[in-house]
Parts: sequence; structure tokens; C-alpha cells
Amino acid sequence: MKAGKREFQHPLLIRLTHWVNFIALAIMITSGLRIYNASPIWNFSMPGFLTLGGWLAGARMWHFFGMWLFAVNGAAWFLYNVLSRHGRQTTLFRWKDVSGVKPMILYYLRVRREHPPAGKYNPLQKLAYTSIPFAGLGSVLTGMSLYWPVQFGPLASLFGGYDTARIWHFIFTAGFTFFFMGHILMVIIAGWSNFVSIITGWKSAAD
Amino acid sequence: MTEETEHGDTREGKAGGRLTRRNILKLSPLVLLAGCDMTPEGPAESFLRSFQKFNDWFQSKVFDKSRLSTEYSQAELTPEEGFRVNSKDEDDPDIDSATWTLAVEGLVAHPGTYTLASIASLPKRVMNTRHCCVEGWSMIPRWGGTPLGEFLRMAGADPRAKYLSVECEDDYTTSYDMPSALHPQTLLCYEAYDKPLTLPHGAPVRIVIPTKLGYKNAKWVTKLIVTNENTGGYWEDQGYDWFAGI
Repeated sequence: MKAGKREFQHPLLIRLTHWVNFIALAIMITSGLRIYNASPIWNFSMPGFLTLGGWLAGARMWHFFGMWLFAVNGAAWFLYNVLSRHGRQTTLFRWKDVSGVKPMILYYLRVRREHPPAGKYNPLQKLAYTSIPFAGLGSVLTGMSLYWPVQFGPLASLFGGYDTARIWHFIFTAGFTFFFMGHILMVIIAGWSNFVSIITGWKSAAD
Repeated sequence: MTEETEHGDTREGKAGGRLTRRNILKLSPLVLLAGCDMTPEGPAESFLRSFQKFNDWFQSKVFDKSRLSTEYSQAELTPEEGFRVNSKDEDDPDIDSATWTLAVEGLVAHPGTYTLASIASLPKRVMNTRHCCVEGWSMIPRWGGTPLGEFLRMAGADPRAKYLSVECEDDYTTSYDMPSALHPQTLLCYEAYDKPLTLPHGAPVRIVIPTKLGYKNAKWVTKLIVTNENTGGYWEDQGYDWFAGI
């Protein structure tokens, strides 16, 4: 990239679905924590400021609105990626990336000094970006097993039954939360120009 | 719910308390950022309530209404000591099983009152089905009773009627779409674990409807009304989804 030039990073549909997903996940996780509090699985409740909806019925209203936003947006994102083959070379984790995982871990652990050769995204980033849609799919499927356990009875048994599906639902949520924390850290490290690119699509070459 | 008041409170009093709770429905910082109205009865809540009606409508359209809830083996039953009680009030209503009758009104050929003996004389169904509480917990009790559809046929209920409303001794109310009321696993339940229903579980007769959430399983039932009017219900009027299919 030459100085002074701008680089196009993210097509409109990717930017749009990214931010809709951000809003949808914020709604789903915060209202979900309020629903959790109505009958905690473990020996703790979530602090109120992390929850949305005020009480169980309010949280359920948010959750069952957010689920459409999350699922429809996710489906649009998936279809776009498949049809346009977007990210196939840059973001999708493939067999050839396996060998690059260990050097990247060593680099992050500061054992290795030089950044291993990588394209737009390194193998660890590709792994993270490729696994997160599976967490999304898992959230939707476990969510369906909990929301409609009679209609989707076989689906619930796929996750070990109604009560176990509820635990899986939380594991996927935890997956999103960990991804989010790592994602935010990387965004901060990458700098302002990179952040702007998920809004405007363009990354300036200043950095 | 934790906000229980003294025994003998009227339903209106209780509902008032709940409405206050609903009034303080917290809206998220997210909505603040989006610039939405923050007043409790503002656009956010009215939007969510409309959306909830859409979800109810969507469920009523896509649900396979004849689909059966899984029936479990005796080994999979929740042990009787784990048979949970959850009611809107802490105290059970005073209801005398010996003199109890079930009133039937509305679009029926034979309105009137029915005794437990007349209900129990109809075919009986015993089933181990999962009871899913809206709070997230579930249990598998062993239920026994008369399929509500059998009873409604005996009472001559108009099969073209849209809804069935239920009223209870503790002033609890709920209502169902007619196909759900006629579902073969929807029971006028008078037994649990092969014994007569106990008072905390809704004796002498409660509704068991394993295709819907727990709050649709009304206890201490005293009146059924066959109607074309959706009468809502105790929890439904406060914000819980009406169709509540699972």
C-alpha cells in the first residue's frame, strides 16, 4: 500500500450486517441475561446493569424481537459470502492455514519476534472469524430448541435434551463474549483507520 | 414473582403492582443511543408489544397444532419430591373438592355446571410430559385426567369457536386458541403421580397443556367459556406472550 492511497476493505453488505449484528447481539445477550436471572442455572445471578427488559416478560419481548434481527441478518451475511465468494481468500480458515497457527501463537506469546507472513488476516484471525458463524448457528439452533421444544423436539435431543440445550445456549453466548473481547482488543491495536473502514469501507494509508 | 402481598389481596391490587413493575420496564443504553423515547410507555414498549403480537401470529400460523409433546418413560419422571409448585399467590385458595363444580358458558349446547364425577367418567389419559416454566426450569410429572377436547364435545362446545377462556378460584385467568384446547394432550387434570391432585397443584381440577408454557396450565379451574373473543389472561395482560406455544 503506497502512502496517501486509500484501500477498500469492506463491502457495504459486510459493513451493514456487521453493525446490525452488533445491535442484535447486544439485545440478545443483555435480554438473555435477564431471562437467565428468572431461574439461574448456576449459583449466581447476573448484575442488573448488564440486563435488558426490566423483568422476565420485558426481557422475553426484547429477546424474541432480537432473534429475528440476529437470524435474518446472519442469513443475509452467509448468503452474501457464499454467493459473492467474499472473504474466501482473506478470511475463511482453510486447510492451508493450519500450519500457520503455531507460528502466530508463538508470535502473540512473544516467543517469536517477527510477524509470520500473512495476508489481510493471519491464520488465528481466520480461525476466529470462521468459527464465529458456527457459534451463531449453534445459538440459533439451541435457541429454537428452548423456545419451541415440542415443535423442535428432535433438535433439542441433538443438544442432549431441553436442559442441556439451555447450557449449550450459554456456552455459545460465552463464545461470542470471548470473541468480542479479543475483537475489541485487536481493533484497538489496529488503530483508528482500521476502525473507520468498517463504517466507511475505506482504510486510509496513513498508518 | 417476589412481590407478594398479604393474603386476601384482590386480583386488581396485585395486577396493579405488576403494572407498576411493567411501568418501570428498563430500557437499555442502546435505546438511549438510538435516540428513542425513554418513557416507559414510549415507542420502544409499544413496538415490542406489537412485535410480540407478530410472534404470536407467526406461531399460530407455522405451528403443527397436532404435534404431540414427547411422553417420557417412568424412569425419566421427575421424582415426586421435585414436583414444583409455582402460583401467582403464596397461599392456596380455599376450594372444597367435595362441592366443587366446573361451570361451562358461552358457545356451548349444554351450558351449566359439571361435577368431578362427570368429568372423570369420560375417557382418561395418563401421560409423562415435560412442563416448561417460562422462567426456564422444567420438570416431567405424571399427569392424569380427561382430555379437554372430550369434555368440550360432551358439553357441546361449538367447534367453530375461536377461543376457550378459563377462570380459576384464585382469580387467575388464561385463554387458548381452540385448536390448542382440543389438542389430545390438553387435559382437565385431576391426578398427578397416580394420586388425586393436591391443593398446591390445583385440586380438584387444573389444566395441563404440555404444548404451551407453564403459565397456560391454570390451576383450581372453576369456569370454562367458549367464545370468539380473545380474553387474554392474568400474565398475558401484563406482558407475557398469549400464544405461548412451545
